[in-house]
Amino acid sequence: MSTRDLFTFSNRHFTIGVGITAAILVVTAIAGFVVLPFAQPWVRFANVWDAICSAAGVAQRAANVTTPDQPKRLSEVVLTSRTLSRPSQEAIGRGATLAQRCAICHGPTGISRADSPNLAGQYAAVIYKELHDFRSGARANAVMSPFAVNLTDEEIADLSNYYAYLPRLPAYHPTPQLPKPNIVIYGAPMRGIAPCGSCHGSLDNKTGSPWLEGQSEAYMKAQLQAFASSERRNDISQQMRNIARAMTSQEIEAAAAYYASQPPDIVKAVD
Amino acid sequence: MSAEQAHGSSVEVAARVERRWATIAVIIIVAMALLAAFAGIHRATMPQPRVEITDPSRIHLSGEFVESNLGSVLEANGNVTVRAIGQQYSFTPACIVVPVDTPITLRATSADVVHGILIQGTNVNTMLVPGYISEQLMRFARTGDYLMPCQEFCSFGHEGMWGKVKVVDKTDFANRAKAGGRLSCVGQ
Amino acid sequence: MLVNRKLILAHFWLAFAVFGIALTLGAWQMFIRSPIGTWLSNPELYYRSLTAHGTVMGYVFPTLVAMGFGYAISESALEQRLIGVRWAWTGFWLIVIGSVMAVIPIALGRASVLYTFYPPLIGNLFYYLGVVLVVVGSWIWVALMSINLRVWRKAHPGAAVPLAMFANVAGSYLWAWTAVGAALELLLQIIPVAAGLKNTIDAGLARVFFSWTLHAIVYFWLMPTYIAYYTIVPRAIGGRVYSDTMARISFILFLVVAMPIGMHHTFADPQVGAGFKFIHSAFTALVALPTLLTVFTICASVEIAARLRGGRGLFGWIGALPWDNPMMLALAFSFIMLGFGGAGGLINMSYQLDASIHNTQWITGHFHLIFGGAIVIMYFAIAYDLWPHLTGRELIDIRLIRTQLWLWFIGMIVTTFPWHWVGILGMPRRMAYFDFGDPAIAPQALSVTFSAIGGFVLLASGIMFIVILARGMRAPQIDAGAYRFALAVHQPTTVPVALNTHALWVALMIALTITNYGYPILNLATTAGTSVPAVYVGAQ
Repeated sequence: MSTRDLFTFSNRHFTIGVGITAAILVVTAIAGFVVLPFAQPWVRFANVWDAICSAAGVAQRAANVTTPDQPKRLSEVVLTSRTLSRPSQEAIGRGATLAQRCAICHGPTGISRADSPNLAGQYAAVIYKELHDFRSGARANAVMSPFAVNLTDEEIADLSNYYAYLPRLPAYHPTPQLPKPNIVIYGAPMRGIAPCGSCHGSLDNKTGSPWLEGQSEAYMKAQLQAFASSERRNDISQQMRNIARAMTSQEIEAAAAYYASQPPDIVKAVD
Repeated sequence: MSAEQAHGSSVEVAARVERRWATIAVIIIVAMALLAAFAGIHRATMPQPRVEITDPSRIHLSGEFVESNLGSVLEANGNVTVRAIGQQYSFTPACIVVPVDTPITLRATSADVVHGILIQGTNVNTMLVPGYISEQLMRFARTGDYLMPCQEFCSFGHEGMWGKVKVVDKTDFANRAKAGGRLSCVGQ
Repeated sequence: MLVNRKLILAHFWLAFAVFGIALTLGAWQMFIRSPIGTWLSNPELYYRSLTAHGTVMGYVFPTLVAMGFGYAISESALEQRLIGVRWAWTGFWLIVIGSVMAVIPIALGRASVLYTFYPPLIGNLFYYLGVVLVVVGSWIWVALMSINLRVWRKAHPGAAVPLAMFANVAGSYLWAWTAVGAALELLLQIIPVAAGLKNTIDAGLARVFFSWTLHAIVYFWLMPTYIAYYTIVPRAIGGRVYSDTMARISFILFLVVAMPIGMHHTFADPQVGAGFKFIHSAFTALVALPTLLTVFTICASVEIAARLRGGRGLFGWIGALPWDNPMMLALAFSFIMLGFGGAGGLINMSYQLDASIHNTQWITGHFHLIFGGAIVIMYFAIAYDLWPHLTGRELIDIRLIRTQLWLWFIGMIVTTFPWHWVGILGMPRRMAYFDFGDPAIAPQALSVTFSAIGGFVLLASGIMFIVILARGMRAPQIDAGAYRFALAVHQPTTVPVALNTHALWVALMIALTITNYGYPILNLATTAGTSVPAVYVGAQ
């Protein structure tokens, strides 16, 4: 037999090889697409075609379900890694003008003299998200809410880009640097707490999570407590409430004190 | 007997022994495949029957994975449905409560990257791939607390992503369910 | 006839150098997450190390071994100078450049996405480009193996292709085709996102593409080991291959069924239909067939050697085997580990049993036992066997070689058995540390400690291996003679065309890929709304 006859049925190996393979394929396909789907009494298919399509993996939109009413307003912001990723100089300029209103609390350089958050060099997505949430009522604050309520989408984006653009400066009242507490370094794995830095910048940044270095201790402590008690609930799908609830009050204090004592320039540079 | 013949017959013997062994190997394999199919049907552990898709960056806005719908609910037929999401780096609800000896459907998805749900000491084990909804049937034979770690690398906080499952007795669960809404054991 | 010894030595040395580095990282990982290590203040360092360990051990090390061994087989089995030496060096340097390119972003913490990539996590572009270069470099080898065989065939019309070369080329084709899955994932999906051209990616589709590569790559790693089983071991212990035909059938079966079974890695995934999961499960069961056939043929071949040495009785012949021969020792260890690892593999193969161990430490234990154990110990044996022929110098430290093999075997058992066990207890994979102080997982602490100790035994053995080879470069010169492969009891003079060429089986492999992967890939690729936002790791 020559190579030319390789792919003909006169070649025993071809016949056997292809035959057995095809037979296995047909048998397993019938079993996988027809027999097994109907052998599961707990699943209902409209007809054979539905069973075959489902087994083949034809994607379906999930059926609509009635969901319980949500009594309190939650965040409606959609955050992705491309949220506000490439600001223009004009946007930053417009943001600078708008930011004059914010300077009373957040400082003219974006560094607060009170216990408001320092915004200079904060991730743009963070400011963007919080302003949206203040505007929608998902987050409430007697001072902030009235400011946010009249902002347009573009103004929110401009402000976020402006503050993200500002250099990170030391806190207004720097305190001596504290050593890292365990809750910050390691988290508490079995309580479902990852190291703070895995979202808050020093290891990695989860879009929408702020870096915390040099922020007001009182502010951070209050926010952690508010998350823990679910008084604050604008974290999407409870991502921060899950963590804060699992923290002890000592851990909350230690984490707030530690971050407040850190200079902001140790946050890794922006990419 | 010439050397030629001896050679020929030894080839034959060798081939015969070989064929026997190949047959045994094939039988082993077929038996295993049948066993797997049988166990799948008998013990109700089959892959999820359908592929369903969803947009992970919008699950909090509408659909079945909005915050108010996450948790366990007692269905009219006595079964329980649990809806949960995985995100960097927690599950919501972080503590899932379910009744013992009850058919439970777990429906879950991811809000960002690939995660996995594994309930230790059980066969409950599924991937959460963003964009797709995972569904798994489960049934717990004994009450107690179970650990539910994320079993897939989901970036630098992966080691801190551990949830919990609390299996309570049926009446306890039914009492909790009376208040309506979605149940969880968060904060308990 | 080994002419291009420098080329082969370069491949082996690079392979074993990167192996040494990755092994050290592996031992450190075992230690640092065990109860005897202290928790890392930066868990990212663990994932960085894990990415480097996986990338090197998965893509670079076995590929270089297969390539170096492949060139050696081509020259010595075909008795023909390697054609395309310049191309071979090009392939080698592509791998060097690719490895460096991939390792730099890993070392900087910009690509801690693990060697399995895991989109929508996206790391630094150069990591992926480096991996692509490694694969491209290896594809040059695939082409050269094919060309060399073709030239030989022209010169020897109708002659039986030597078994070693037949298997070697089968392995190279398997690799060429199986790498296509990851290549598609990288080129069509990940690299455009890493380069900033796109910012969404279909994570489900990416996992399907990767599964295409993920299983058959294991059989590519396995090929040099199986070639050694069939064509080196019987010669080294003074026996003969029981059956040349059965050997060919085994390699053909690997070629055909190793490929279209990868979806058993996605059993727990929501984006693959249950029907395809079942088909892949059934084909996965089939892949046990060539291994079972191999076990039989090799045991029979070893028995022949024993009986030729005067072994008697039903089992008495086992004592007559040359147990002081490193090749015999390596084979025995390899078979034991293959047996345990294969049994574990049967568990992973079934959807139902897989559910209890999917993505637990069981899986890591499993593939370390199979790859690190059964396969790599034969890589050692191959190197020991080839070394005198490559260097023209004798490996004198036979006792040290035996100790090294023993340590590797013991280390692997001590590492992987407790590893399997904690997997059954539900310990998840790829975590930088565990709180063994918590009563819920405290019972796992002892097993994990044993694993970590085993890791150091492996490290010691790995260092010994490299020292033995290095000393072999300076040993007294000898004439090692021509490098030969084992002969069959009934050495074939002619072989049926189908068992002497690969075309039919490559065609079947591609056809099965289309039937088993075609629809799932097309379906996901054409379904709108399945792409999700990329998540860039290490981005601030």
